[in-house]
Formats: sequence, structure tokens, C-alpha cells
Amino acid sequence: MEKYFDATYIWESIPTLIPYLKVTFIVAGLSVLFGSLLGLILAVMKLGKNKISQNIAHGYTTVLRCTPSIVLLFLIYYGVPAIAINFGINLNDMSAAFFVVITFTLQFGALMSEVIRSAYESIDKGQYEAAVSVGLSNTQAYWRIIFPQAFVVALPNFGNSLLELMKEGALAYTIGLIDVMGKANLIIAGNYNSHALEIYIGLSIIYWILSILIEQFFLKLEKIFSKGKKNLKTV
Amino acid sequence: MSNGLDFEFLIDTFFIALSGVPVAMIITVISLLIALPLGFLLALTRINKMPILSQFSRVYVSFVRGTPVIVQIFIIYNSVPLLLATIFEKYNIQMNVYDVNPIWYALIVFSLNTTATLIEVFRSAINTVSKGQLEAAYSVGLTTVQAFIRIIIPQTLVVGLPNICNATVNLIKATSLGYAMSLPEITLKAQVAANASYNYIEAYMDIFIIYLIICSLVEYGFKRMEKRLRKYKIAPAA
Amino acid sequence: MLEIQSIKKSFGKNTVLDGVNLKIEKGDVVVVLGPSGSGKTTLLRCINFLEKADEGKAIFGDIQVDLHKASKKQINTIRKRTAFVFQNYNLFNNKTALENVTEGLIIGRAIPKDKAIKMGKEALDKVGLSEKYNAYPSELSGGQQQRVGIARAVVLNPDIILFDEPTSALDPELVGEVLEVMKTIAKEGTTMLVVTHEMSFAKDVANRVIFMDGGVVVEEGSPKEFFENPKEERTQRFLRRVLPEDYIYNI
Repeated sequence: MEKYFDATYIWESIPTLIPYLKVTFIVAGLSVLFGSLLGLILAVMKLGKNKISQNIAHGYTTVLRCTPSIVLLFLIYYGVPAIAINFGINLNDMSAAFFVVITFTLQFGALMSEVIRSAYESIDKGQYEAAVSVGLSNTQAYWRIIFPQAFVVALPNFGNSLLELMKEGALAYTIGLIDVMGKANLIIAGNYNSHALEIYIGLSIIYWILSILIEQFFLKLEKIFSKGKKNLKTV
Repeated sequence: MSNGLDFEFLIDTFFIALSGVPVAMIITVISLLIALPLGFLLALTRINKMPILSQFSRVYVSFVRGTPVIVQIFIIYNSVPLLLATIFEKYNIQMNVYDVNPIWYALIVFSLNTTATLIEVFRSAINTVSKGQLEAAYSVGLTTVQAFIRIIIPQTLVVGLPNICNATVNLIKATSLGYAMSLPEITLKAQVAANASYNYIEAYMDIFIIYLIICSLVEYGFKRMEKRLRKYKIAPAA
Repeated sequence: MLEIQSIKKSFGKNTVLDGVNLKIEKGDVVVVLGPSGSGKTTLLRCINFLEKADEGKAIFGDIQVDLHKASKKQINTIRKRTAFVFQNYNLFNNKTALENVTEGLIIGRAIPKDKAIKMGKEALDKVGLSEKYNAYPSELSGGQQQRVGIARAVVLNPDIILFDEPTSALDPELVGEVLEVMKTIAKEGTTMLVVTHEMSFAKDVANRVIFMDGGVVVEEGSPKEFFENPKEERTQRFLRRVLPEDYIYNI
């Protein structure tokens, strides 16, 4: 049995793995979509006046922040079908992707609720006052003045949360999702567990490049949208 | 598998999972003890733009923050034995690489990982402690080392505390991936217990509760600390 | 034109306005003076409903409003007849100087865009910022920002402009340019209610001075009477404390 390092495995694994990024992207994309929606709802609850919904939203965020992704993933994977069966719904044949999307939607929602809340709170109250003082209505003040500014503030944190999601998403292989990570494990199993190191290095290169691209993309985006925010000086 | 929860199993497994807490804590504490000073020093190399070391830290941080922890674990878990085997062979050491306690691998992975996080935390924290503080320290006759130990580091810690708290919580959560290295921590212990009877839901509920308790306690502790240290921090000039 | 009757406002146990009456005629430039915490700013904010008064009435030309129970429609009507200049400028950070000035016209008053832009440019020209139409607030000095803030108010052609300490956030060397602009628009007959610490502005521009302390109006009169012959003990003490400094500035 040869157990020596062979770099050719790295370069050979990368082209095999790349097509499976599609699965990674779809799962991440859906989680971001639903998670952002959930985050928005939670943020509204946190910013609202109702103490009960405030506490629920804050409690939710704390619990999710304290739960390792892998634990949440398995809780959803085993728990959701068990609950669903009580309602006569059989989810045992659902694809792994279904449970992965639920898990990361829940997690991303918690992250986003904080991102949205802090972005909203970072906008000075005076902006709203000035808007209504020149005759804008409440709704107009929010849509034209507050939200556009909060959006720019939220952008970098949204990007960070997205990166976080991509990385945590690698754990989806544990419940059988064949994304890049899942495929890497299949290749390794196909090699009878030899040259695992090379395959994982290949995989890490893919993730690394992907992260850098996402990071750069958000930096660009920030630059485009942050007109008027250059060297923002408070008085 | 029945629909109801098996409460007896739930309780038994809770204590089994609980017995994994010390391992998780040892790894957390030792990794932090290694990562805190290392992260601070490497952050300094970046701030002072020291050649080579600064570039190294940059690439290092970028890689660690750009790849999933689980992949980092697999890389270390597969590469260190390879290295050790080569070394053992060369120096004729009679030891089987597979006898190495997985805790060593875990310590390597999590120290390296946390160091990268803390480099960024300290880099931004040091930048907020103004240059004037260092200049003031020099002006009253402190040496650079004295200035750092007595003035700069304490302030950096206060500023960086919320982020250090985050890093700690993330580290504790990440130890749940120790299963990939056969590390007998909280998650693996409960998983093993569940394997026999397929009571996975109960097992994961136990793990969930334990992490919730630990992380809440840690966050509470940091909040307390923050409150006590707040007096060292003045509001940033408007 | 604007009359405020027995306005009251407390924050918790702290009574900030304790029954203030105020009457302003068209073309008046009324300056409100007083130590900090005397309720001047709160008075202004209540008139524009940025703060909700606990009680009081406003008579605004033909409409009468209960300041505590005003409906949304009434609030909007009054806000459309007034304009506000903020201490911290509060320019819209995501909009250029020109967009800041035209926002209220285009969105608030549904004035056609090209007409609004023409009006906006004229307003910016008037405050001496012809070069800065497309600058964002972060690219402007404090004085320039406040001049945009004034243009944003003037362009709406309101019945009255409320100035809330418009120069107190500025570096001393930038105060002059803002006061100059305020003087210009006062000369054009704009009705103004100004809370300020600038004694020179009160002396030279105002036609009436109001002195507030502890949530009530202590004394009011023409600038000449007020500065040369204050009647109330509290006013005299205030002037003694404030004026010497003013002379130093004048040297």
C-alpha cells in the first residue's frame, strides 16, 4: 500500500470536483433566500415595540448562535421527519438537500437578523427627521432615505455571513448531500482511502478561491453602492 | 423507531454527552492559550508591515478563513501522520503513528484556526487604540515592551473582547467536529451512544442542550467581564 | 401667522416646556436665546412634530391644531408649510447636494423633476454652492453642509423656517459663512424662528428676541431693548455671562 504524497492527485481532483459546486451553490442560494426573509422578519420583531416578540427573536438568535451547525443539521435531519409523521407527512424519502436548506435557512436567518438590525440602528435618527421635515411621508422616508443607507451598511456583513454559510455548508456531506465536499469524500472512498490528503487539498483550493472571489465581489459592490459614504465623517 | 421520545435514553445519554465536556474544554482553553499570544504577535507583523512575516500572516488568514473547518481538520488529520511517519522512519523511532492521541491533532487544528481569527480581531483592535497612547507611553519614559504590556495590550483586549467572545464560542462549537478525528468529545460520545439504539433525535437534543448551556455561560462570562472593563474605554471622539 | 399656545412637554419627570406662548408674524425673524437645557430646541421640535408635545395648541394661518392629538394629515400639512434646519445638518448621506435639495420638491410635493432641479440649482447658487451640485455630504465641510441644509429648507418656500442651533456644531471659522447666508434670506423677508447662541446674529438680524429659561419664556422684546435694557434679573445674569465672550470675539 503506497501512502506517499502525490501532487498529481490534487490537480486531477479539481476538475472532477468543480461541477459539483452547482449543488453547493443551489443549496446555499436557497438558504440565503429563505434565510434573508427569516432574518428580516426576526429583525422587524427585534426592532418592534412588542416585548414578547422581541424576546422570542432575541432568544431564537441566541439559541442558534450557540448551536454547532452539525448538531443543528442532525436535529433537523432526524427531527423534522419525526415531527412531520405526526401530521401524516412522510419525509423519509426527501432528498438530503431539503434538510440542508432548512438547517442553513434557520442559521442564516439568525445571522441576518443581527445584520439587518444593526444596519438599521446605525442610521442616524436625524436622517428620518430631515426626511419628514422636507415633506416626505413616513413610507417615503424609509424607502428613499433610511433603507438605501442601511443596505450599504449591511452589505459587508451580508458578505461575511454568506462566506460563513458556504463554509458551514461543507458539513452537509454528513447527511449524504453530494456537493463538492460530498464528491471529495466519494473520490477518496473510491481510492480506498488513499491519497485523501491530496483530494482535501484540492478541495480546500476550490473553497479558498471561491471565498476570495466572493470577498472581492462584495468589496466591489460596496464601492459601487457607497457613493456619498466615502470617508464618512461624523460631525 | 417509535414516535415518542425515549426519555430514559435522553437522560442517560445526557450524562454520557456531558462526560465529553472536559475534552472539549481542554481543547478550547489550550487552543486559546496558544492562539491569543500568537494571534497578537502576528497581528503586529501585519500592522507594522514586517516583510515576509506580514505576507505570511495575510495568506495564512486568508486560507483559514476561506476554507471550511472540516476540510482543515481532514488536511491536518491526514498530513500530520504522514509527516510523523517520515520522521519516525528517518530517526528510527519505534512508534506507531496511529497510536497518537487524537487530542493532539485537535489541538493543532483548533490552535491554528483560532490564531487566524484572532489575528484579524487584534489587527482591528490595535488599530482602534490610538497611536497617541504609544506616544504618551514613550513620553513618560516607558520602553516599547513596557508600553505594550502596560498600556497597549490591556486596551486592545478590552476593545477586542466582544470579538474574542465570538471566537471562543465559535471554537467551542467547532470542537463538535472532533468526531472526524475520533476525538471523544460531546458530539461523538452521544453519537456512539445513539448508534446502538438508533435514538438519534434524543442524542442530538442532548448535545444541543449541552452546547446551549456552555455557550450561554461563556457569553455571560464575557459580558460580565466587558462590563467590568468598560471603564478603561472612553467613547470614541465624536 | 403662527401662534403657539401654552405648550407643555416633559421627558419622564423632567419638565422641559412649561407652558410657552409664542406669536410670530409674517416676515418676523425671531431669535430664541437661553442657557442649554432651557427647552429651546424642544420647542422647535414640537412645532414640527419631531417631538410630540404633552399639551398645547398651534394656530397656523387658517388651521388650528392640538399639538398632542394632531392627526397624520394635520402633521403633514404643517410640515409642508414649515422647514427645518438641523444642528447636525442631517443631510441625506446617500444623496448629492442637489438631490438633497430636490428630494422634498420631487417626492414630497410632486413637482416635475426638471423644474425641481432648476429650483434646486437656484437655491444652491443662493447659498454660494454653485460648484458643489454633485458633491456628497461626506465631501463637504461642515459649513458647506449646513448651507445645503439651508438651501434644502429655502427651496420649499415654506411659511416659516425653523433653525435649531444651526451653527453650534461648526468649527468657529465656519460659523460666519452660515450666518451670512441666514442674514441674506432674512433680508428677503423669510419668516424665521432661530434657536442660537450667536448673540451678534440676534442683535443684527432679529426683530424680536425671546429669552427662555427653565421651560418658560422669561423675557421678550426687540433686540435693542433686550440687550441694552433687560428687565428681568435672570436675563441680566445670562447676558453678563455670555456677552463678555462676545466682545472678545468682536475684537
